[in-house]
Amino acid sequence: MTKRLIIIPAYNEAGNIIRTVEDIRENAKSFDYVIVNDCSDDDTMRICEKMGYNCLNLPIRSGIGAAVQAGYLYAKRYGYECAIQIDGDGQHDVTFLEEMADELEKGKVQMVIGSRFIEKQGYQSSIWRRMGISWFTFWIFLLTGARITDPTSGMRMVGRDVINFFAEEYPKDYPEPETAVTLLQLGYAIGEIPVRMKQRKSGESSISPGRAIYYMTKVTIACLMARLGYKRFFVPYKEIQ
Amino acid sequence: MSFRLQIIIAIATAIAFFYIGNKVRTRVIELKYALVWFLLAIVLLIMDLAPNLMEQAAHLMGVTLPINMLTLLGFGFVLIILYSFTLVLTNENRRTKRLTQEVALLNKRLEILEEKLAEAGIEVESPISGTADPRPQHDIEI
Repeated sequence: MTKRLIIIPAYNEAGNIIRTVEDIRENAKSFDYVIVNDCSDDDTMRICEKMGYNCLNLPIRSGIGAAVQAGYLYAKRYGYECAIQIDGDGQHDVTFLEEMADELEKGKVQMVIGSRFIEKQGYQSSIWRRMGISWFTFWIFLLTGARITDPTSGMRMVGRDVINFFAEEYPKDYPEPETAVTLLQLGYAIGEIPVRMKQRKSGESSISPGRAIYYMTKVTIACLMARLGYKRFFVPYKEIQ
Repeated sequence: MSFRLQIIIAIATAIAFFYIGNKVRTRVIELKYALVWFLLAIVLLIMDLAPNLMEQAAHLMGVTLPINMLTLLGFGFVLIILYSFTLVLTNENRRTKRLTQEVALLNKRLEILEEKLAEAGIEVESPISGTADPRPQHDIEI
């Protein structure tokens, strides 16, 4: 049995975190989990402590990218061979994780994306978002020649090589389309599996309408930069023994 | 450029120079980052106090008014300073992020260690998790 990890980035998710973790314990039994609490203002940290949840607490608020990367760093240090990020807001259906892990462990692809748009079931998100997502599907196809039906899906499971890579380099925010391009550039293959997603239950979405323009611009440029291979110029951190 | 303006610029630049110099002396500003400000002040002062030089430079670059040469120079310098700050900021961001992550992971290791020690019957007196949280604590019900 391979070691599998679920990374749950949590920022002010006190209203969701228990449901999320219990859901994992019940429906994704072959997975370990780690919550990365990004210095929440609410009771997220204390709930995790009281419930005895496995939780990393970032002492300084560092943003979603840094929180998720801390999870990958954890996965790397503790020898996990498979890691997936699940949002702390209960949007993602963890019953699909086994299937995704099986697909990953076949070894043909190094990243498996849970896609809403293969079977078009479950929450399909708003028309504007779908337009944005279509743009990224097209943009990634243009840049890499790969067809990814749901490039903004947060459900992305990766194997050990990619865990090691993400532990070194992970975008600060809105990483999904960009990392897809980066991985394709590095010669990794990406597969997709149909999943259903739910509408979030409480808390705010990380992309408010006002940020949409920033999101589209930043991610579009980030994909282009990833295609041009700027990752090459990054200096990795020295590993601490 | 009028003599009055020359005097004003010279005084302002000198004040700025000594102000930043004092900040460096009292360790408020790191000398490394102040150097570029010093350079800017010195170049402005030279240009200001040697109008001939400035007129020649203005003529060379096709700038009609010598005072505009000064503005152009100052602006160019400011852009360079801003750029250097962007570099520093990016680097600092990356470093802080990694430090934060390492602290979180270290805390986790400590937690695991403490549990193991407690299992072995060894008590460790050190506040690790929870107590380091400076925010007000509310009572929660689960």
